[in-house]
Amino acid sequence: MNWVLAPYRDPQTYRTAAYLVTGLVMGVFDFVVIITGLSLGFGLAVTVIGIPILIATFLVARSLATFERHLARNVLAAPLPRRRLISEPEGRGYLARLRGLVTSRRSWSEIAFLLLRLPMGILDFTVVVTVFALAFGGFVYPWLIVAGIDSSVGGWVIDTLPESLFYVPVSVLFFIVGGRLIQAWGEVSRRFATLFLGTVGRDEIKREVADLIARSGPVDAYQILRDVEFRLGDGPFLDATRVQAALVSLEEMGYISASAEGSLMVYRAA
Amino acid sequence: MDEFAEMALREREARRIARRQWFVLHAAVYGMMQIFLFIIWWLSDVSYPWFIFPLFGWGILVAAHAVYAFVVQDPEEIMVQRAARERDEQ
Repeated sequence: MNWVLAPYRDPQTYRTAAYLVTGLVMGVFDFVVIITGLSLGFGLAVTVIGIPILIATFLVARSLATFERHLARNVLAAPLPRRRLISEPEGRGYLARLRGLVTSRRSWSEIAFLLLRLPMGILDFTVVVTVFALAFGGFVYPWLIVAGIDSSVGGWVIDTLPESLFYVPVSVLFFIVGGRLIQAWGEVSRRFATLFLGTVGRDEIKREVADLIARSGPVDAYQILRDVEFRLGDGPFLDATRVQAALVSLEEMGYISASAEGSLMVYRAA
Repeated sequence: MDEFAEMALREREARRIARRQWFVLHAAVYGMMQIFLFIIWWLSDVSYPWFIFPLFGWGILVAAHAVYAFVVQDPEEIMVQRAARERDEQ
């Protein structure tokens, strides 16, 4: 019994269902905005006006993806990083940042997510509505008969109590598995979001680590990992090896130096 | 090797084991499906060996998965291992 009711007692099931239902609206919106921007921008690229439209589209895509990331992290509980709107490093000039915006893997991955959000959103919406309709719809017909309201399924008019009980077993079955189905589909959606929105570039982690060491003085790698996790969030995009690789790279470049203190290495700005 | 490096090594080992387990699962599903398709082919019209298409088509994916599970290393992993080797040599 607990296996059946546990998903219905878990608030995350309803949050997941809400995320999946809004997928249709968000999918249509994301798709229309990005397709319009890209086709208009590329179409007018031979004239002067196309380039600013394309740049604006990339910026809008960043904003939409940031919102989608926020939504997936807080509503769907997807392990996604907290990212700044513009992650391209400052100090290399305006044009270099702009080039980074257009050519970065992050931008294209986010655009792919926003375009695929429509077919995925249609699936999300269909799954939730079908599961809930099948899980609860069958229990409604007997009440409609009691209330004196006839209903129909396809061409079949349900106007007697025995007829109205026909779909009750179907709903019982779907009520038993419905919560689990929503959770399972939520996991599919979570993985989809993580695949496209959950990556953080090596350079970005390196910058975070360098910035932390420059600000806080000598620190060990555990502290660095904790602090970077605090800034970016916890997820598969950040692990001990990635932090270690960033430290090795910064050490090789001569930005930091390492010294052994007890069983730990301590890193400080060179 | 310091404490943190040991933890990172354990994480990498765990990830490697998980990758290999996923590959074994994939290979098992592939094998069973191919046997199933071969039996269908054997019991029905044997004039045209259509079962070789999924055998090779899906086989390419299984081979790619094997490479990913047993050969491919993350660039960060390579970098960390190289640095550890250099440190040991010094």
